[in-house]
Amino acid sequence: MLELQNVSKHFSGIPAVDDVSFSARPGEVTGYLGPNGSGKSTTMKMITGLIEMTSGQILFRGKPIQEDLIAYKRRMGYVPEEPYLYNHLSGAEYLTMIAQLRGLPAKQSSDCIDGLLRLLSLYDDRHASISGYSKGMRQKVLIAAALQHNPELILLDEPFSGLDVGSALVLRSLIQELAARGKVVLFSSHELDTVERVCSHIVILHRGKLVADDSIERLRALMELPTLEAIFSQLAVEQDTDSMARQIADLIHA
Amino acid sequence: MHNALRELIGRLPLQFRILYRQFLLRVVDLEALSIQADVVGFLGQFAGVLIMVSMIYAFRAFIYVWDPTAPAATLLSSAWSAEQSLIATMMLVIGLFAVISWDATFPDRRDVMVLSPLPVTARTVLAAKVAASAALLGLAVLALNIASGIAWPLVLGITKGGILGALQSCAAYWFTMIAASAFLYCSVLTIQGFTALLLPRRIFLRLSAVLQLAAFALFLGMYFLQPSLTTPAAMAAPENQWLLACSPSFWFFALFNQLNGSLPSELAWLAWRAWIGLGAVVCGAAASLLLCYLRTMKRTVEEPDLMPGVRGSHWTPCFGSPLQTAIVLFSVRTLMRSRQHRVAYAFYLALVFAIALSWLSSELSSTAPAPLPMDFIVSTFLMMSFAVAGLRSVFSLPISLTANWVLRTTQLCSSEKYIDATRRALLFFAVVPAWLLSALLSLAFRPFGLVAAHLAVLALVGCILAELALIGFYKVPFTCSYLPGKANAQVVFWGFLIVFAPLALVGAEIEQGALGPPARFICMLTVLATSAVGLWAFNRHQAQSAILYFEELPEEIITTLGLMSYQPSRK
Repeated sequence: MLELQNVSKHFSGIPAVDDVSFSARPGEVTGYLGPNGSGKSTTMKMITGLIEMTSGQILFRGKPIQEDLIAYKRRMGYVPEEPYLYNHLSGAEYLTMIAQLRGLPAKQSSDCIDGLLRLLSLYDDRHASISGYSKGMRQKVLIAAALQHNPELILLDEPFSGLDVGSALVLRSLIQELAARGKVVLFSSHELDTVERVCSHIVILHRGKLVADDSIERLRALMELPTLEAIFSQLAVEQDTDSMARQIADLIHA
Repeated sequence: MHNALRELIGRLPLQFRILYRQFLLRVVDLEALSIQADVVGFLGQFAGVLIMVSMIYAFRAFIYVWDPTAPAATLLSSAWSAEQSLIATMMLVIGLFAVISWDATFPDRRDVMVLSPLPVTARTVLAAKVAASAALLGLAVLALNIASGIAWPLVLGITKGGILGALQSCAAYWFTMIAASAFLYCSVLTIQGFTALLLPRRIFLRLSAVLQLAAFALFLGMYFLQPSLTTPAAMAAPENQWLLACSPSFWFFALFNQLNGSLPSELAWLAWRAWIGLGAVVCGAAASLLLCYLRTMKRTVEEPDLMPGVRGSHWTPCFGSPLQTAIVLFSVRTLMRSRQHRVAYAFYLALVFAIALSWLSSELSSTAPAPLPMDFIVSTFLMMSFAVAGLRSVFSLPISLTANWVLRTTQLCSSEKYIDATRRALLFFAVVPAWLLSALLSLAFRPFGLVAAHLAVLALVGCILAELALIGFYKVPFTCSYLPGKANAQVVFWGFLIVFAPLALVGAEIEQGALGPPARFICMLTVLATSAVGLWAFNRHQAQSAILYFEELPEEIITTLGLMSYQPSRK
């Protein structure tokens, strides 16, 4: 189980994430939602160990991750929000480099990479430079790199970004399948329909603070709202969206 | 004056001014610079280096004029030597500028994708690009001649014909320098432009990288290998006619003397070559640029930069553990595929080859094997130094700072292992090539025993240099920048020149003394081996407690204006 206990992150004294506590359990997909700038990606980066938290602690399987960060990294797979890759490498070279850095056995990783490339429809382009890949192809490379070592904890920050419909459906099923196999999956996205279909547990962040942490069913019942979109709008959207749209149209029309 | 200039600039179309400013800073590859780099400061420092070179040439002019005892023939020889050297240096600087700003004048995919949907004509883009390149070219010409461009024309003109002669020399000098620069830059543009027009885009992109390196080697090779012909007899010698006919720096030397009124009539054909060459390449560059903007802008969008590769395999050479193999392969792929890294490393390698060729050309031209000379020892030490220092500095150029997250999330081994992998990359791609080149050149010398002894010393020196380069380098190659905008280019340039050359000389003298008696040689080898092992142990010890450093884009810092706490006073 992944647990965040009173985690905060301040930039120049200003809280980006403020006293956030929740847990993600094995066997379920935890959706992590929030508007832009709410602190989702900052939390993800703290969970991966990329940035240090200002206070609080993050536990995986009951142990603080900083206690043995290397052992923790071995068991974690991460798909970041932005598909930043080494563009001068080919897809196959990139995945091989990640496997080598993770110390995976050569034969096993080679078979796994071939299989992932085939299943993600990247096999024909495996020797082309990543700089020539579309956004969706880059996203697939990130997904393959995050999964090739069979991690126990999977962190997905906007994993559907740039994927076509077919690939998105495959990924949706894959996330559920991985959770069913006992992985801890933390999934951040703005696509509320997908989150509603995939996740059993929802955490909503607003202005760096936790505003909801429960199952979708319980949230629906508690708030007496029919959809996740309605719940999210009530908890985390402050503007009158229709009015704002009208104002923008008026502004460009003037 | 300032207001008039501002008014003149203000009359230029707004689109042109905006694009010109953008392209001006993009002529130098910004990706090679650090995230904190100050581009203007960086260019200013390079201008400073050129101004220093100009001052040295100017100083030579005063030495020339204040030697009253020198006969006329010696004065002529000195003047010709200086003129040829100034023109060759000018052409080298412009050549290097053309290589560094490769493709900068032509529309790239980013320009086309960003500017095509906007109401900006191709003509405006072309004008802004040409103006940006010309401005930087002008800055380089000005900086390199700021002192020498006054001192030499004065000296040459006054000795020839008083004040009027000096004015004529000054005009001839500046026209020649600008013409030589334009000739070289336009030659590169013509070749690039017509290659882009004739070839499919993806083949052009691949060939362009090869052409860039070839141009680099050509400019440096010409500069270091071309002899100076400083007497009328040498100019008239039949064996030098081919060189004169092929070398543009001699054409422009003749052009300067023609404009200055000091050209011997038998060399007039060289000056005409300069005029014809200049006209041809200016027309060629203009035509190729126009055609590129009219034709290839569309092709840039239609034709992909890269096609799916069909070749390749999962087989990879082994460089030790999987981690070491990953880091070494990452390094070699970056060096081979990234344009700025390739060019930067090629610069150092070109220096290595230039040293090898220029110092050894006389020894290698002799048919009989020669005894091991001092020059050979010095040149091999210099080659090794430049190779190691060059690769170490190229390691500090980042390839993609934003992609470093992957190395951080996969950092499953201690820093020591990563630093060990970096050491291997340094040994494989700097020490081994420099040593092999030295070994190849050493075949010209005898006795083999002494040559082998020197190669053993060189190998140890290479290991010591590699360990010295690794002190404090707790990084994976190409993941951090050395802040070129912050580094003092003046100090680095002159320090490099002043430190390495005397050290190589001293080292060579010590080695030559120790190569004779076996006891002294063994003693020297022991000292070197102990130093290498000591440095290796020191670096390993330091690496055990080191924290691997990855430079990334700075964290977003929320800046507040402090207005929340401000309470307006109520009256």
